Amino acid sequence: MSALLRRLAPLPFVLLAASVLVFALPRLTGVDVPRAVLRARTADAVPDPEVQARVAAEFGLNDSAVVQYLRWLGAALRGDLGFSFVTRQPVAEVVGDGLAVSGVLTVLALGLAASIGVPAGVYAASRPGGLLDRGLSAAGIVGVSVPEFVLAPWLVLVLAVGLGVVPAVGWGGPQHVVLPVLTLAAYPGALAAQLVRAETVEVLGRDHVRLARAKGLSPGRVLWRHGARLATTSVTSLSAMVVAGLLGGSVVVEVVFGIPGLGRGLYDAVLAQDLPVIQAATLAVVVVAVSAGAVVEVLALVLDPVARNREESR
Amino acid sequence: MRAWLGGIAAALLLVVAPLALPDPVATDFGAILAPPSAEHLLGTDQVGRDVLARLVVGARLTLGTTLLTVLVTGVVGIAVGLAAGYRAGPVGGLVLRFVDLLAALPIVLFGLLATLVLGPGLGSLLAAVWLVGWTPFARQTYQLTVAEAGREYVEGAVALGAGTARVLGVHVLRNIAPALVAHACLRFAGTLLTVSGLSFLGLGVQPPTPEWGAMVAEGREFVFAAPHLVLAPSLAVVLVAGAATALGRRLG
Repeated sequence: MSALLRRLAPLPFVLLAASVLVFALPRLTGVDVPRAVLRARTADAVPDPEVQARVAAEFGLNDSAVVQYLRWLGAALRGDLGFSFVTRQPVAEVVGDGLAVSGVLTVLALGLAASIGVPAGVYAASRPGGLLDRGLSAAGIVGVSVPEFVLAPWLVLVLAVGLGVVPAVGWGGPQHVVLPVLTLAAYPGALAAQLVRAETVEVLGRDHVRLARAKGLSPGRVLWRHGARLATTSVTSLSAMVVAGLLGGSVVVEVVFGIPGLGRGLYDAVLAQDLPVIQAATLAVVVVAVSAGAVVEVLALVLDPVARNREESR
Repeated sequence: MRAWLGGIAAALLLVVAPLALPDPVATDFGAILAPPSAEHLLGTDQVGRDVLARLVVGARLTLGTTLLTVLVTGVVGIAVGLAAGYRAGPVGGLVLRFVDLLAALPIVLFGLLATLVLGPGLGSLLAAVWLVGWTPFARQTYQLTVAEAGREYVEGAVALGAGTARVLGVHVLRNIAPALVAHACLRFAGTLLTVSGLSFLGLGVQPPTPEWGAMVAEGREFVFAAPHLVLAPSLAVVLVAGAATALGRRLG
């Protein structure tokens, strides 16, 4: 239990620090907020100074930074993240919708990566130096060397332009999911396969596996029940890394395929200097990344008794 | 040795080759989206610029930025990792947690925020990759240093009166250097993908300056009519990243 507490204790501080940075963001950009609001709404190059002063008063920009921060934080905790400068939609809504879309992509990509990567890694470990094993180590190098911004146009070229089986861009139907999910799943899939292979090879050399073999268990049973089981720990920690990367880092994929996710929302907001959306999206990405990390650390403790004992005895 | 000679030859080629190639920003409206031919070995783009010339000149920017980034982030990350690993108590652990926290955030987030604060350009791209690029180096060096700090030769050096700086700089660093070089090769690949990826999103150098990631982005609009516009720069990225990864794994 104390191990759990030690893992989770820093979380509130990290989130608090992140909120201060996110709050300070508009001040770092040097964007004149009332001016930006007016320009986004009226497309007027030189706004009336009187109107500008009224907007500043309305946003409470004349108060001290601390007062503004506390007010902003209080509102944010209640789910009120302000309104988009550009569309005037509630920001919480914009970010929530984007998060839902990116979440679907992330879950599908992670599922695909795990369901191909894990069995491939275990099988390769059972036959070291075999065809799949050698193919996998080559695929590992390719997997980490082909970035999303390269894989996406290649897949478009082959599957959309060449074969014409799926549309190149768009969002809405199941046919739109294929290319982005394939693009997103490639890297985690290759990584999972390599990780699982290395772990399983190591576990297969341990005493309890040799005992299981000596008892006369079939090779398949030994491999899947005893060998591959411990590999789940490393796959969990991998998925944390990937979830954070996928949710916030799917910017490239969402921009390329025209998907209205969180990454695309943040990208568009930066281009339009839509500060409230940028702040909320940044906060969402940070919260997801930090909590994914925490969840995995806890899961690792739950799944791996050895690590748990080490932590308790410390 | 052959690999080093190959690397030097490739670097020389990048310096000399542009002299023999057409101007990378000169437009030729007589040859728009032309497929590869004897005159334009990799064809031309949407305004008739020679793709090979842009690829070679872009290599200097893309690979130069990557190399500079690996050097800068390597020095910072190795220094942090050495210091934190040698004093691997609560302070070292705290440093490591900060490193992990920073590394957990997607780099694109930093690229976007740097662009917001500094405006689009090479400066904000460098700010973003330098801000987080040192964390993998720090983590790797930390682990190597922790393993090394308990060895007899370190104890011996301390017993002989060597200061912390001397123990770390002369003894520990020299022993973990081979592993760090291998790690730097892997980081070169990763940094190349980050740099060109941010440029792909328009967060790096601005047109018409040729850069590999930006070239892929430009070519994407013409993927139906002229696939070579996407294929040439994207293959360049993949080949260099793959070579650096393979080298890093061979060394590591």
